[in-house]
Amino acid sequence: MHPFAPAGPGSDELTFAADPAAYGAALRDYLRTEPSLDRWRGRHYDSTEDRIADHAVLMGGLHRAGWNRYGWPADAGGLGGDPRHRAVLYDELSAAGLPVPEPHLLLETLGPPLVRFAPELAARYLPALLRGEEWWGQGFSEPEAGSDLASLRCRARRDGDHYVLSGQKLWTSHGATATRLFCLVRTGTPESRHRGLSTIVVDVDAPGVSVRPVALASGHNELAEVFFDDVAVPAARLVGDAGQGWAVAMYLMQFERAMYAWQSSAVALRRLRELRDQLRDRVHGGRRLPDGAARRLGEIYADIVALRARSAGTVRRLAAGAAVGPEASVDKVLLATVEIGLHDLARDLLGAEFVLGTAPQAAQWRADWWFSRSATILGGSAEVQRTILADHVLGLPKESKA
Amino acid sequence: MTRTAATHLDAATTTLLAGSLRALFAANAGPDAVATGLAELGWDEVLAGDPAAATTLLFTEHGRALATSRALDGVVLAELAPWLPAASGPRAVLHPHPADGDDLRTPAGPLRGLLLGALDGVAEVVVPTGPADAARLLVVPAAQVAGSAAPAGGFDPRSGWLAVSGAAAAPATTSVAAASAWTRGLAAGRRALAAELLGVCEAALALAAAHTSGRVQYGRPIASFQAVRHRLAEAHVAVEATRSTLDAAWAAAGAPDGGAWAARVAKHRAGSAQAEVMRHCVQVLGAMGLSLEGDLHRYVTRAAALDALLGGHLWLAETTGTALLDGAAVDPVVEI
Repeated sequence: MHPFAPAGPGSDELTFAADPAAYGAALRDYLRTEPSLDRWRGRHYDSTEDRIADHAVLMGGLHRAGWNRYGWPADAGGLGGDPRHRAVLYDELSAAGLPVPEPHLLLETLGPPLVRFAPELAARYLPALLRGEEWWGQGFSEPEAGSDLASLRCRARRDGDHYVLSGQKLWTSHGATATRLFCLVRTGTPESRHRGLSTIVVDVDAPGVSVRPVALASGHNELAEVFFDDVAVPAARLVGDAGQGWAVAMYLMQFERAMYAWQSSAVALRRLRELRDQLRDRVHGGRRLPDGAARRLGEIYADIVALRARSAGTVRRLAAGAAVGPEASVDKVLLATVEIGLHDLARDLLGAEFVLGTAPQAAQWRADWWFSRSATILGGSAEVQRTILADHVLGLPKESKA
Repeated sequence: MTRTAATHLDAATTTLLAGSLRALFAANAGPDAVATGLAELGWDEVLAGDPAAATTLLFTEHGRALATSRALDGVVLAELAPWLPAASGPRAVLHPHPADGDDLRTPAGPLRGLLLGALDGVAEVVVPTGPADAARLLVVPAAQVAGSAAPAGGFDPRSGWLAVSGAAAAPATTSVAAASAWTRGLAAGRRALAAELLGVCEAALALAAAHTSGRVQYGRPIASFQAVRHRLAEAHVAVEATRSTLDAAWAAAGAPDGGAWAARVAKHRAGSAQAEVMRHCVQVLGAMGLSLEGDLHRYVTRAAALDALLGGHLWLAETTGTALLDGAAVDPVVEI
């Protein structure tokens, strides 16, 4: 089945757009039988740059066959449907032993606000993003604005039909390789907190932008530090109105908490399967597993199922147009529990192989272990999530200010 | 899960029913009064209309109220009944003894297990026997079991459960090969118990939130200290994760095996949730949490008893992990 029909939506496309299950079944069939996909199975990369670039090629293939266009509106190069289609894509890729292409991780966070708050920008750029021709970084955190995002200082001053950016971003996801950055900047007074923020898309090759890759402890350049030295950005690049940045960021958070959690559960299930297979090979080779191996494997598996159950519900609510509020911090805490638990399990059970192994699989687990530590940090730390739940869901008395 | 629009429990009906169930359980009049009260509510009709929502509601309220009844027997027997001959009177289930794990006792006897209440008015006891992958159901006259039953006591003195040890298996009225029936009965029982644990945990968390919001030390409510707030937030996450996993287990219940695997995961999650919720609650209640001056101990002990029944969480984790290491499919359980 080949749903891509350049002349306009075919009957398959209309069926798939209306029915995520039918889409999923056809996609599953494609992923199982398409021979060109094998090169992405069980693949390890020595650098983030190689991984993203190769994953972008996978996106190109998925785009040509139409599959990653579902869940995005036709006005932005999609084939219709809703967030459930995207969730099905990530799940089916993982079930088929394939990676969720790295650019999809941030597209899932940045795409929805772009569609919602800047339809012209979405129409212009989303097709290229879906084709894997470019990917964007998320410029939110700064040296003095981590958990306390509303204290950010990177300035954007209006000058005619442009904004002039000056300041700095740090821990920018995909910042080392992205061609554009989705930035939260201050357009109001320094004291304006969350009221004086705006979101704007900045070209990395614009004069005055300099990017310094930031490596995780694995040595992989997952992040970046970005400096803006009077960078002129067209006002048409605003996502939403000036001063609407916090609303855009909050809208974005819904997808970051819900869909990223679902993506993470899909990938975690694949990685658990791979770990299980590695452990079985070891047992078949006559070596025994550490005490408690079975129990811990069973626990992490149940944690992953719980994360899936929770985030599937949240994705369905998003698809139905409901606003997802502070309760999504539950999803984020469960996601972090899975990420930390799964990678600690791999580290502990693989033991010496994790520490000293020279096989690509061992290197992959080591790099992933470091990345998994970010699950309790990025997008609102574990502590921030628990505080949100205590304040807004449990309604406990507020902490007193320092 | 199939629901018909006409009988699906809407929010208003659910609230109404929850209120009636709370009143019924609050009366604390014992298993027979619970059975009568449910009949008066027309519970069978509610159940038939929306089994998932009705069962979860009933058992969540049962747990919240720390009620004792044979409601769980009803859930299990509904799955076993098609394999059994017509009943000569009310039936109870002899649940596998937690110390036996998944190893059902041999049909040759002697029998061992747990009854959820006294056998007054019960005619027959249905006993699942092993081996687990080829279970047989025995139907034993209640009088034959009653003599070997004694209050289970132990950690939860208010469970009302009876431990049966050494009862003769013969003569059984019936002995039927019913592996698939037991698989379904076990799955249904595990979903009900997960819901009951959910209710116990919700009630304990509410108690802890209320206590810490009112208790002032150092001039401020102790729930305004981050260490306390974060413990309660973690307990909340554990409760919500259980709720979602139970929903997923119900979504799988229509499978021919009764959604056995998903039900096992739900019971596992509910069991680990109670461990986490109670750990946090006991700590934040201070001395009120561990003494008879407060009520929390009742929730702690009931949760432990319910966790042990039909598979404790540590044991379920171990056996799930072993199955995975033996090559079982890594079942995603949940789909969008």
